[in-house]
Amino acid sequence: MSSGSESRLERGERMAGTSIKIILIISILLLPWKSFGAETAKLRYFQSIYFDERGGGMRQPEGLALSDKSVLIVGDTGNGRLLRYTFQDKTIAGGSEMKVPQLSSPIRVQVDSKGEIYSLDGKQRRIVRLSPKGEFKGYLSPEGLPSPSNFVPRSFKIGASDLFYILDIFSGRVLVVTPNGKYQKHIEFPKSYGFFSDLAIDQKGGILLIDSVRKMVFAAPKDSKEFTPLAGSLKEYLSFPTYITTDNRGTIYMVDESGAGIVMLGQEGSFLGRQLSIGWNEGLLNNPSQMCINEKGEVFIADRGNSRIQIFTQVK
Amino acid sequence: MKLQIKIIPFVLVGASLLIFPLAYGQNKFKLRPDAKGKLCLECHDKFKEKLKDKFIHTPVKSGECSECHNPHTSRHGKLLDTDTNKICIKCHQGIIPAKAQSVHKVAMEGNCVKCHDPHGSNNKNNLLKAGNELCFTCHKTIGDAVTKAKFKHNPVEKGCLTCHDPHGSSKSKDLLKKELISLCSDCHKPNSPAFVRDHLNYPVANANCSSCHDPHGSNKGGILFDNVHAPVANKNCIQCHESPTSSTPFKTKREGYELCRGCHSTMMNDTFSKSRIHWPVVSKEGCLSCHEAHASTQKKLLIGNVVSLCGKCHSDTMEKRDKYAEMDKKEKASLAAAKGKPQDKGDIAHKPVSEGDCLACHKAHASDSVFLMANPSQTELCGTCHEWLKHSSHPLGEKIIDSRNKNLTLQCLSCHKSHGTGYTHLNPFPTVTELCVQCHKKFKR
Repeated sequence: MSSGSESRLERGERMAGTSIKIILIISILLLPWKSFGAETAKLRYFQSIYFDERGGGMRQPEGLALSDKSVLIVGDTGNGRLLRYTFQDKTIAGGSEMKVPQLSSPIRVQVDSKGEIYSLDGKQRRIVRLSPKGEFKGYLSPEGLPSPSNFVPRSFKIGASDLFYILDIFSGRVLVVTPNGKYQKHIEFPKSYGFFSDLAIDQKGGILLIDSVRKMVFAAPKDSKEFTPLAGSLKEYLSFPTYITTDNRGTIYMVDESGAGIVMLGQEGSFLGRQLSIGWNEGLLNNPSQMCINEKGEVFIADRGNSRIQIFTQVK
Repeated sequence: MKLQIKIIPFVLVGASLLIFPLAYGQNKFKLRPDAKGKLCLECHDKFKEKLKDKFIHTPVKSGECSECHNPHTSRHGKLLDTDTNKICIKCHQGIIPAKAQSVHKVAMEGNCVKCHDPHGSNNKNNLLKAGNELCFTCHKTIGDAVTKAKFKHNPVEKGCLTCHDPHGSSKSKDLLKKELISLCSDCHKPNSPAFVRDHLNYPVANANCSSCHDPHGSNKGGILFDNVHAPVANKNCIQCHESPTSSTPFKTKREGYELCRGCHSTMMNDTFSKSRIHWPVVSKEGCLSCHEAHASTQKKLLIGNVVSLCGKCHSDTMEKRDKYAEMDKKEKASLAAAKGKPQDKGDIAHKPVSEGDCLACHKAHASDSVFLMANPSQTELCGTCHEWLKHSSHPLGEKIIDSRNKNLTLQCLSCHKSHGTGYTHLNPFPTVTELCVQCHKKFKR
């Protein structure tokens, strides 16, 4: 009886020991996965776009946007025009020119749910509205703004229900207006900041601001009335960020213009990684400007200094 | 009674434990009672002269040389007991206020000997020099301005310490003894008729005095900064601000750049005619992002010199500038040391960048070129300084296509990075060969 219980005890001890060993081995094996779990996918160069459909080269393009229907609109800033491409099944086609006198310096481009194109003109500092075919349809002119009634858009984004979020640097606020320009609300910039170059709307409807000078992201969750820092200074990773966007998983992407790179943050502001670097060769960037990401996670970057658009896929 | 007797040994041991460290601290080197100081002077004969100074540091006076020096050996220079930058604080712990709003850099770094002689001096507080002369040794620019100023400010004449605390201030920035307004109003009573009249009835009692006045003196009446905005000089505050009787007298008549546009319309119209604007111009701060509204020490009413002003936002560029300037200096020094004379291997730093002359290449307000370049043609812009470039044998210009990218033309910046790279000739690669084979691939090895 006694020896039987001892052997059971020994067996139990052996099993416990084996279990601990298995747990230890699994933990060790999982360590790299855990370590890199937070790290986002890497950008792998896929393709570049240099020309329009007639073989005319781009010149310092700064803006670009994708529609739901895989239409890629490029703001060919140096040539004062927009270019229309399609990107389906990893194939680029088209490149038709859309040129209107009201848009001589397209520095930011957005497309709404109906395919209408909106572009910020750097010279006039006005948001120009174009039909999907590129015909001039007017300006986005906010009405009923609280004092001061003047505003200067540095950037803008289109959110859910085609609401427009305008970064008004003249009055230090983010304006929210309907597509026909009707004022909805505004959120004041935080009390202390350097200079805001861009804004983004995250998946939950919150607003993000990128402070180029302090290298910081400020956030105002949906229905919040103020901006607070999302994280501390990202000086260690960024030189002069000028563009911010998010993907459908909520990852935040920032374009480091003078540092020629892309920096990713988690939804809560944790640093996930820095991708790409300066250079002329394909896959490298030179003063990148706007970027956008499609549902498949393919990344499009306006590589201004290299006068081209670059497309990257994401690999884990 | 028995209990009391039993306690006595413990009391004695306790007392000895307390007294021993004190006694040891007093005489840790077990010097003979008559040896203090005198013993050191047996060798340090010249030091006797120092002791004749008017003011002698207390430990020196009492012959406690070993308070600071170790007579046997030390890891620190001059056989100091502790690190040179930490030894003073051993006794002078409270010299920097606990919650200081501003601290003198030398005090913070423990560089006390920059101002004080640790043994003695003929100046009060063992200072190396008397009065403002000491401060102006480092603060030379202020010293020169004070000397040359046509209109002097009395407190400066009395001494810098009239307004500043030399070590640190718990009350204000800039080592001021009090908040600026409170400090100024000690002498300049805001309610006095003359004060009210001079400020055109505007309630400036709580305004920042140093936004117009140079507290160190200036060449303008009323010690206004040397460069005064015309409406201020003409006492025409109402040109920009609401009336002094208004409920918001300091409110400007228009917001941002719109206010300035009233007078500076030519400049503004020129700015707005360009395709690329320097965005701060149209921001909430507007022109005041870079310019003072009332008066400034700088021309064009700039907030500061160009390096500090541009560096306010473009700190990354300025950090690189400093880094490359330092590398350039070291490279040239090492070459000079190796060969006996400076060798011209090419600059690491670009001269206008290292000299902080940002406006040599960039426009401050707007331009039709990226980076707000002063000239749309790179070769012409670079050619303003590099005359030889126009005769270079390498093809350059708008008609020459860059073999790496058909959308690019060959320009100076195709091979050089204007703000520097850390390599000579502003080359993006460590060697010239590495650069050339980017295009001339057949020579790649």
